[in-house]
Amino acid sequence: MHKMLLATCLALLAALAGARAANAGALEEGAERYRPYLIEGIGSALAGARALRERADAADLAGAKKAWLSARAGWERSEVFTAGFVPELDAEIDAWPNADSGFHAIEAKLFGAGNTDVRADAAALVEHLNDLRGKLGDIKLTPQGLLDGTVRLAYEVGESKADGGESRISGTSLDDMRNNIAGIDFAYHTIFAGALNTVDGKLDEMVTDRIGQLKAIVATSDLPHVNIADLRQTSEELVVALQSASAKLGLQRPTLEAQVR
Amino acid sequence: MKMLRLGLAALLSGLIALVALERAVAFPVDGNKTVLPATTELNEDALDKPREVFQSERAGSKSYLVNLGDLAFNSPGLLGEVARQAGVSCGTCHVNGANNPKFFMPKMSSRPGTFDTSGPLFNPKANNLVLDPVRIPSLRGAKYLAPYGADGRFASLRDFVHNVITNEFAGPEPSPATLDAIVAYIQDIDFLPNPSLGPAGRLAGKVSESERRGEALFAKPFPHDPALSCAGCHVPSSGFVDHQQHDVGSGGLFKTPTLRSADFNAPYFHDGRFDDFGQVVDYFDRTFQLGLSAQDKGDLVAYLTAVGDGMQPYERDGAGATLKEINDFSTVLATAIPSGDKDIVALAVDTIGRELRELTEQYPDRKNTSVSGGEQQRVLARNSLKELVLTLRRIEMAVAAGRTADAAAEFRNYRYLMAAAVPAVLASAEPWSLFNQDVHDRHYAALRQVMQSKHVLH
Repeated sequence: MHKMLLATCLALLAALAGARAANAGALEEGAERYRPYLIEGIGSALAGARALRERADAADLAGAKKAWLSARAGWERSEVFTAGFVPELDAEIDAWPNADSGFHAIEAKLFGAGNTDVRADAAALVEHLNDLRGKLGDIKLTPQGLLDGTVRLAYEVGESKADGGESRISGTSLDDMRNNIAGIDFAYHTIFAGALNTVDGKLDEMVTDRIGQLKAIVATSDLPHVNIADLRQTSEELVVALQSASAKLGLQRPTLEAQVR
Repeated sequence: MKMLRLGLAALLSGLIALVALERAVAFPVDGNKTVLPATTELNEDALDKPREVFQSERAGSKSYLVNLGDLAFNSPGLLGEVARQAGVSCGTCHVNGANNPKFFMPKMSSRPGTFDTSGPLFNPKANNLVLDPVRIPSLRGAKYLAPYGADGRFASLRDFVHNVITNEFAGPEPSPATLDAIVAYIQDIDFLPNPSLGPAGRLAGKVSESERRGEALFAKPFPHDPALSCAGCHVPSSGFVDHQQHDVGSGGLFKTPTLRSADFNAPYFHDGRFDDFGQVVDYFDRTFQLGLSAQDKGDLVAYLTAVGDGMQPYERDGAGATLKEINDFSTVLATAIPSGDKDIVALAVDTIGRELRELTEQYPDRKNTSVSGGEQQRVLARNSLKELVLTLRRIEMAVAAGRTADAAAEFRNYRYLMAAAVPAVLASAEPWSLFNQDVHDRHYAALRQVMQSKHVLH
């Protein structure tokens, strides 16, 4: 009897290990499918930063603002990756409120002071993004890291932007949120949805539903019309669902803050 | 409470612009019209908070009803959509049940500490088209201070609270249980203890000569109308009120305000026109031709100050104070979860989760330029608070789905974390948090600098 029980347990463990191995393969394939999206997002941010540098050189304020917005959009779309894999660079490029360099330092000059004296900052931004862009072809994109980034961003999306949010001077916080959610949507459906659907269709449905709800919540004409309470609740429900999904996918429970290295 | 906001005043200016466009469904964003009165400290960044004294805590602990009322009082959802979007609750104006002398809302306040309850912002139907703000009163001792409202038009505190919610703010009709809870909470807020006051409101203990002379003057009949005296309306044996409305030449009939804990209730008069007791005494001297000498005035001010004093009027805001408040709120869940009360659980999760998210922002993330060092501690603090937020959300989801056993298990875990682990993690991160005065000052100076770059240089 005892031997039978042991054999059953071992068989179960083997089955689970097999399922996890299968998951792992599927997830790693998904992570590779995510890579072109990431390269495109950072590439777009880099192109925007280069245009920004040029427009700043030409003292073209309107053009520089437009280029900043373009660079920003690419960066925000890639935050699933940046929050999970390069948090130090994220902190440097996205520092606020009165950063010496990075997006928000440039934002304050362009959209706040209304001048184009941002050449050095734009050049530094180009350099950072160029370095990052160069590494993206080889960097190991682990499903765990991408799930961590997805979860952190999903939580952050629910934070109150009642004060205008991070990009309050340019007034692009709503665009930041939309791009963040687009990044979450793409990462989830490219990497995790298929594997999760196989093991727990209802949970996959729940994640998909909450992402859809978030998209609907931020599909408003402007930031003041975003329903803050719904946004927060939906963001938290999405994180709860993704935390549950981690166990089903054979991954560790994501942490909500990038650890200090 | 806190957050990375540059103040409620800044937040609401954008909302006003929207209201002007008859789109009062939105919350404010900083805009070019943002104006912060010089010297006005921002609502959200004060480190000292009024101390809240509960009558029931003297005899034991606060009841479920009082804690539920406290929770609802601090819930933006209570006051309708506009308030919810703006994050405005009763507690925004009445911080810890006291007044909020720093509160300033452009176009709704004439000066800090006042608010137009018949303005256009929250309920356009209640808009009287006149900027006529009233001072935000402290609710300390409200139990003894009927009638209610600056003009004393409500005999019942319950009716007054109902009117504030549904008419002044256009909030949804509160349930009778919620209304009872808010009234229970307000009635539990006591005056600050004042050892200088003895039986029948007489000065006691170590009393200065000036205060003693002031006490006598306070009771002395007015020269031109012996039927009147200060003490005739501010009855010392009755909490320094007479429960009546009077016209003292300030623009109508207004109820007699208490002098208890009044040192901390400035500005004074129904519209907050006076900054201090000296100005108030001058006004009565002029209006009622009291013929007070300079010494008389000084004596009256000394007396008023002695009567209006209170022990430990403020407490330092820190993680400990916030966690205590959150723990009080959380006791509501201990009753609401087993009974499967979805509405109360949702209210609690919404309010506590919001408080926890705001507490999280007291520990700047690595992107914040205001602080360096303590990164590991800040990460742990932020992570633990976020986990609590999510635990609460799981509780709410479980109760909504009828899984009360799961919710109870999550709540046990929540309480376990709140008992020791989270306070310890927050304490270790405190030196790098906004609770540290230096970090706090750097952070808000940075925010102001950024915002000013927008408004000044345009």
